[in-house]
Amino acid sequence: MGSSNQLKSESLLELMKEHLTTDAGKQITKKIGLVYQINIAPKKIGFDEVIFTVDLKKGEVKKGPYEGGKPDATFSFKDDDFVKVALGKMNPQVAFMRGAMKIKGSLSAATKFTPDIFPKPAKM
Amino acid sequence: MAMRELVTGGAACAVPGSSSSANPFGALANALIGSSSKTQERLKEIPQSTPTASEQQFYPDAHGHLQQLPGSEFEQPFMQPGTQSSDFLRNFNSVDGNRLLDNAWDEIQISQPPPMHVPQLDRIYDLGAAPQLQPTLDGPPQRVLSSFLHSFVESSRGGMPFRPAPLPVLGLSAGDKRCIRDRTSIMARHFFADKSEDFINGQVNALLSSLDIESDVNSKGPLPARFRELEDYWNESQAIMKPGAHATEGWVTEFNQHRVDHGDPNAWAHSFERQHGANGWASEFEQEQSQLMSADHMRGVNMANLAAMEQTRMLANTLAQNDDPKFQKSRFLQFVSKMSRGELIIDDNQVKPATSSASGDWAGEYQQQYNAGPNWADEYARGELSHGPNQWANEFASEQEQHGSVDDQWVNQFSKLHVDDWAEEFGNQVGEGILGDTSADTWANAYDEYLNEQVASKQHSDASRGVYVFSDMNPYVGHPNPLKEGQDMFHKGLLSEAVLALEAEVLKNPENAEGWRLLGIAHAENDDDQQAIAAMMRAQEADPTNLEVLLALGVSHTNELEQAAALKYLYGWLRHHQKYGVLARPELSDSLYYADVARLFNEAAQMSPEDADVHIVLGVLYNLSREYDKAIESFRLALKLKPQDYSLWNKLGATQANSVQSADAILAYQQALDLKPNYVRAWANMGISYANQGMYEDSIRYYVRALTMNPKADNGWQYLRISLSCASRNDMLEACDSRNLDVLQKEFPL
Repeated sequence: MGSSNQLKSESLLELMKEHLTTDAGKQITKKIGLVYQINIAPKKIGFDEVIFTVDLKKGEVKKGPYEGGKPDATFSFKDDDFVKVALGKMNPQVAFMRGAMKIKGSLSAATKFTPDIFPKPAKM
Repeated sequence: MAMRELVTGGAACAVPGSSSSANPFGALANALIGSSSKTQERLKEIPQSTPTASEQQFYPDAHGHLQQLPGSEFEQPFMQPGTQSSDFLRNFNSVDGNRLLDNAWDEIQISQPPPMHVPQLDRIYDLGAAPQLQPTLDGPPQRVLSSFLHSFVESSRGGMPFRPAPLPVLGLSAGDKRCIRDRTSIMARHFFADKSEDFINGQVNALLSSLDIESDVNSKGPLPARFRELEDYWNESQAIMKPGAHATEGWVTEFNQHRVDHGDPNAWAHSFERQHGANGWASEFEQEQSQLMSADHMRGVNMANLAAMEQTRMLANTLAQNDDPKFQKSRFLQFVSKMSRGELIIDDNQVKPATSSASGDWAGEYQQQYNAGPNWADEYARGELSHGPNQWANEFASEQEQHGSVDDQWVNQFSKLHVDDWAEEFGNQVGEGILGDTSADTWANAYDEYLNEQVASKQHSDASRGVYVFSDMNPYVGHPNPLKEGQDMFHKGLLSEAVLALEAEVLKNPENAEGWRLLGIAHAENDDDQQAIAAMMRAQEADPTNLEVLLALGVSHTNELEQAAALKYLYGWLRHHQKYGVLARPELSDSLYYADVARLFNEAAQMSPEDADVHIVLGVLYNLSREYDKAIESFRLALKLKPQDYSLWNKLGATQANSVQSADAILAYQQALDLKPNYVRAWANMGISYANQGMYEDSIRYYVRALTMNPKADNGWQYLRISLSCASRNDMLEACDSRNLDVLQKEFPL
């Protein structure tokens, strides 16, 4: 970890990455079978975005855009809003309605993007 | 091209160079298809004629009151062809020609939606229910016109497109035309309260072009003297409203193209253009608004502000009716008043003072220019102005009562349209969604929602901003020694009680660092990091060098994924440590890098490997960098030195859980819970571990257990909800949403 301005979302996605290697994680991969690209902006959607690929076909999380073609759905979030959605603090539909989450791609793929695919961080 | 083709969006009417969806008629047709099943009609009530000429209209006092029913002329042999025209017009000029309009108006007002089945009407409706809602158009001009207007109104009621039939020459005077145009524009907005502005314009234009009303020479006729100021203002606003004017031109140009391309002789677009230059102030205003709407890509922001102002103005009125003097002086009301005057605008969800040079904000400028004295919204807000002209609605209602009959009411009211009324009227229309734009008609709702959300999320956002949120009802306030009480409770493991007692303590002694610290610890153990952070920040204010506080802040910020803040406090711990402070270098505190801080702590650990605290901080640091193996190692070292530290067992468990060693984590949590059975955080972490392993039923039991001990932990509720739906226990979601612990405990005993 070089800089201290790391995105909160990155912590969650790193956890996700580990999680996908577990049995429970493999269940998720099996259940969803889609590729999501998630663009996280520190403050404002569309600015200084960091791109992550959550590949729930292969069960991988990577930094950077999807290289295997077109992702099934691409989401854009602010850092805080992604954390809220992933931790179940904000309903994805509500997030979408408020403009806190932008969706590109298949809507049916997008509707499978729910908080239960994300592991929850334990607290010290 | 046939009007019908235009309306139905036939292929021929695609505008060259634009997609067919840009064709307003396409949208129109869609709107119609969606709403064509609307209502049965009361033909009897439908206006025979639109109002006619002249300034008289604006002076209700000058109206004669004909008693006869306008329809009854038709029973008599009416006129000789030669005299037809003048008589007709005279009749027309008498405002009672509008009486049926009044009826129609009242109908709409009173019985909306009006699906009343009067047999006779049904019959008539059935006659007209053929694809074309057109009555036969022959006979003397008045009858023709009357039928024609009937069909217009009827189409409006049914939400059908108005398809004008060719008319014989009616010989309407310029004044008649002008008046018809103006009144139709206004009426149409009431008839089509639920339709889009494009639709309304389409309807009106269809009517007007059929009547061949387009003479702009006459339409530029002098305004009634009474409206002098309006005219002045209008001229000003024209000057101000350049962008709007451009938009209008764009519109007109587009339709002119239509005309040119297809050689449409009816030139309805032309008439629209003329109409736009009309002297009907109200209609122009509305037209202009619609232009703005349709050109919102150009002026969206200003329009939104305008709508917001109007809406707020209404809000200010409503609020002003609350006589509570406290409320009258409240900042909220001032805020609303300011909004309504355009002194504040909402831009990008932030309230900003309006820049006075905002060129598009003409309504605001109007307010400032026209109202030399205190402006009306303000006056309203203070409840000083309770008289006449401003209270359009009241006056309308009372007049309705007085007269009993429907005589001329809305005509009068409209004629009396006062300077102050238009804003209200427009505001109402915006409120009713007449302008058709979703942003306009949902504005009020959205604003309400926004306010509610603000209130609801106040606590949460306060906490996230680091402001401590106190409990409402605290039995320990007034307790002689709440700190002692709080400490006792804490050691007994009664965390929620301890929180209350400690809150009472810090209310009594806001500078008591120990009170705040213990409060923070209690919140952390109670699984509420936001409150923990808020309390710890207060503790740090009172005692900036307290190591326990600094460590706790580092841990809580780590939990909240706030890396930079966590790093700052952990470095603070080192800097203020008696022994390790020498390691800290002051130049570091400005720009902290994880590697530097980790290196310093490693040095510290080498200095005194027997100090459990250094290992604890190191463990937290390694959590930050997700070096979980190192973190686990540090915590294990610390546990050897401090095996009875339940929070340390929990830290170990959490680290293991985050490095997907959930089975080990559960053992560690169990150790923590053996040492402290009411350790809410450990219970919640148990739930998380089970959930992350896909054992949702088990996770539910642990979440519920944690929540029974601290129902205020929002996180727990959110996680419980997720586990319930993953476990396909949607039957329990309601209990979760209503936070009904009795039901949940019974269903999921541990």
